[in-house]
Amino acid sequence: MARTLQARTMSSSSDRQPPAEKASNIINSMPSSPNLITKTGTVVLGTGLAAAAISQELYVVNEETVILAGFAILISYIAKTIREPYKNWAEGHIEKIRGILNGARASHTEAVKERISSVEQMKDVVSITEGLFSLSKETAKLESEIFVQRQKVALATELKTVLDSWVRFEQQAKESEQAQLAKAIIDKVMKGLNEEKTQREILASAVAEVEQLVKAKAI
Amino acid sequence: MTQNLTQILILNSPLEQFEVTSLIGLNAPIFGYLNLTLTNLALYSILVLFLIISLHYIANNNSRLVPSKWSIALESSFASVNSMVREQIGSLNEMYLPFIYSLFFFILIANLTGNVPYSYTITTSIIVTLSLSFTILIGVTILGLSIHKIKFFSYFIPSGTPLALVPLLVLIELLSYSARAFSLGIRLFANMTAGHTLLKILSTFLLQMFSASVIVAVLTLIPFAIFMALIGLELAVSFIQSYVFCILTCSYIRDAIELH
Repeated sequence: MARTLQARTMSSSSDRQPPAEKASNIINSMPSSPNLITKTGTVVLGTGLAAAAISQELYVVNEETVILAGFAILISYIAKTIREPYKNWAEGHIEKIRGILNGARASHTEAVKERISSVEQMKDVVSITEGLFSLSKETAKLESEIFVQRQKVALATELKTVLDSWVRFEQQAKESEQAQLAKAIIDKVMKGLNEEKTQREILASAVAEVEQLVKAKAI
Repeated sequence: MTQNLTQILILNSPLEQFEVTSLIGLNAPIFGYLNLTLTNLALYSILVLFLIISLHYIANNNSRLVPSKWSIALESSFASVNSMVREQIGSLNEMYLPFIYSLFFFILIANLTGNVPYSYTITTSIIVTLSLSFTILIGVTILGLSIHKIKFFSYFIPSGTPLALVPLLVLIELLSYSARAFSLGIRLFANMTAGHTLLKILSTFLLQMFSASVIVAVLTLIPFAIFMALIGLELAVSFIQSYVFCILTCSYIRDAIELH
């Protein structure tokens, strides 16, 4: 029981602000500047002014004063109570938005960097394309030349074939002409041989030759 | 003596605070005795306008991406009004948001300004609240007529009404429709007036009790605490009434758009 009481006393003493500290807090909260107006001066001046205003009927204390007092106390209490949670909430919200914006900025930077690196891989693309283009140009040129050459070859082959066929035809014509000539000659010879006169002439010439041979042998 | 008493009674009347008094007046014998007067009602109307513009100017955050502590409050109140409009009138009718937003802030700032001691509450003038509510109802009726043309009058005949009952029901519906104009304005006026009157009466009693002996003055701190709670309640009523006014306006607009 005594321990509980002691604990309670201790807890209450630890929770509560000591009166002296509380008083000094109130005094510290008074507006003052170190040189001109002291805290005591503020209190005295304030009280004096209020008393003077009331006594001179510059300020009339009436029911509105009660409302003013109640309103001032309530508003200061509400302001004091709300200030910290509102500040925390507002700062949390601002931080959240700031975080979102910073995150967006960071991700955007990252995306830009990624884009730069991906584009960087294609930095030689212009020269490569130019090379490829000139190569393809050359290829096309060569292809056209090949085509021309092929056409020439085809034409030459065609010409050769035509000429060959002409040659063959000429040869055949010549052969048949020669054959006909030979045949005509043979026929003529054969015909001539069949003729008596010719036979006689041949015979005579043969005899003459033989005679000549004989003569020659005899000699 | 009697005159003094009358004067005191008049001065102490809790309803005296709602009187519209002339502050600066111009009474010229031209244009049929032209009378231009700046009343406390006009002055506080201008003050409310000035406060609303100042609030929006301070809390304007267009130039910055990250909101300030002021703009967050304004942004969240805008979001609340926006969600109210979306829920009540529908997402497709968000074009009524500026109107509802202006209405909300006008009534709210007017109510809150009135809570400041020595000030005047413009919403405790029935001419202000009824003008607002009548303007809204006339506007809503024009809106309904322009959308639905002649079919708008079907609003006054509930579906499935027997033909014999139609004249009676039309009369009842017409009355209830017209009563909206009164109820909307009177609700705001009555709430604000009642709260301010109560505070005035209680403060008169409290002043008398504080002016008595020291012991009574000390004991009066207990009812004074309750009085402070009532001031807090008045602050809450300022918010609630502006919210209620706007939500009812939204529902009237929805009725005019959707008919039933």
